Amino acid sequence: MSHAHTPGNGGADHPAAPMVEEITDFEVLEIAVRELAIEHGLFTAEDHRRFTEWAESIGPAAGSRLVAKAWTDPAFKARLLEDAVKACKEIGIDWAEPTGFGTPSDYMNLRVLEDTPTLHHVIVCTLCSCYPRPLLGMSPEWYRTTNYRRRLVRWPRQVLAEFGLILPPEVEVRVEDSNQKCRFMVLPVRPEGTENWTEEQLAEIVTRDCMIGVALPRPGRTADVHPMHKARRPVKGQAHSGEAAHESKK
Amino acid sequence: MAARKELLQQQELIGSLQPALHVPQNWNYEVDGPLFKAYMHTPHDVGGQFDAPALYEEKEEEQWELNTYVTCEVLGWRGIWNSEERRRRADNDLGYALYLGLPYYGRWILAAARMLVDKNHISLTELIEKIAEVKARYAKK
Repeated sequence: MSHAHTPGNGGADHPAAPMVEEITDFEVLEIAVRELAIEHGLFTAEDHRRFTEWAESIGPAAGSRLVAKAWTDPAFKARLLEDAVKACKEIGIDWAEPTGFGTPSDYMNLRVLEDTPTLHHVIVCTLCSCYPRPLLGMSPEWYRTTNYRRRLVRWPRQVLAEFGLILPPEVEVRVEDSNQKCRFMVLPVRPEGTENWTEEQLAEIVTRDCMIGVALPRPGRTADVHPMHKARRPVKGQAHSGEAAHESKK
Repeated sequence: MAARKELLQQQELIGSLQPALHVPQNWNYEVDGPLFKAYMHTPHDVGGQFDAPALYEEKEEEQWELNTYVTCEVLGWRGIWNSEERRRRADNDLGYALYLGLPYYGRWILAAARMLVDKNHISLTELIEKIAEVKARYAKK
């Protein structure tokens, strides 16, 4: 999957106006489909703008806040494990956004998987890329790859080790396969050394990978570090989903 | 018209995407039960298949990828299709070459285009003309 890398971001202050030799077939098709749909009144430009605004507002920070609150408030944790979609509202995440009935692709059903010192959860979607999008934002590319989906369900400890997470044999590993009707999120164990921390401090160590289950939170670990494949023409004004935010807190 | 050399190059590329011929499977007269079942297996159902360790990298999102996601969702919001048509049939049930070969959102936008034509929201001619127009628009800049 090698792509030509253009220097910079192709001019962040201009709308995408690529040269013909640069514009890809998918870029052309995307523009064609969007414009035809609007011309035919299937949706409006305003619909598209509103949905984009919502899509750009979601990210793993909401999940981090959710976990931090669950760690500090046992009654909230109980409500979260009972009905996660409802509990999300308490931290300002409404799964019914942005249409009033949720997104067309995310069924309003979330289950939070509670880790214990002897039980570790990790999530996957073997059929595609189902992910708790309203709460954690867009799934990372590696989560969508056939490689992760093929291997995690069969060799979970090996795959976790490749992420740098080596679990002792006495810890049971449970892989939860997400689907279109049910999304999962991992509630990790609150690590030692965080006893008098505030919710804000706790939220900083709950990174996206901790909520997928491929990493464990610990004091000082505030970013998920992976190699980055740069975009040719990235989404305007967007550093990569939440990663930069975590990085900058270090 | 493409030059003969370009046509030959394209044919070669198409040939390279055909199933590997480590077993004879070209135009079978008979397909037994297990083989039929294997052919019917949809390519997206990959859980448990063998693969080698790979680099798990992040991918910065392209503008067209975000636009594609939003277009597909808004088409659902406005009742033009539902998420199961998009997901299981249009994005996933493409055969191995397309499923494994195209980018994630490449499959999405292709699915949206095909659906709009299949449901007669737009004609194929209209789509082809629009594609040519978009290409020409960016050629001028």
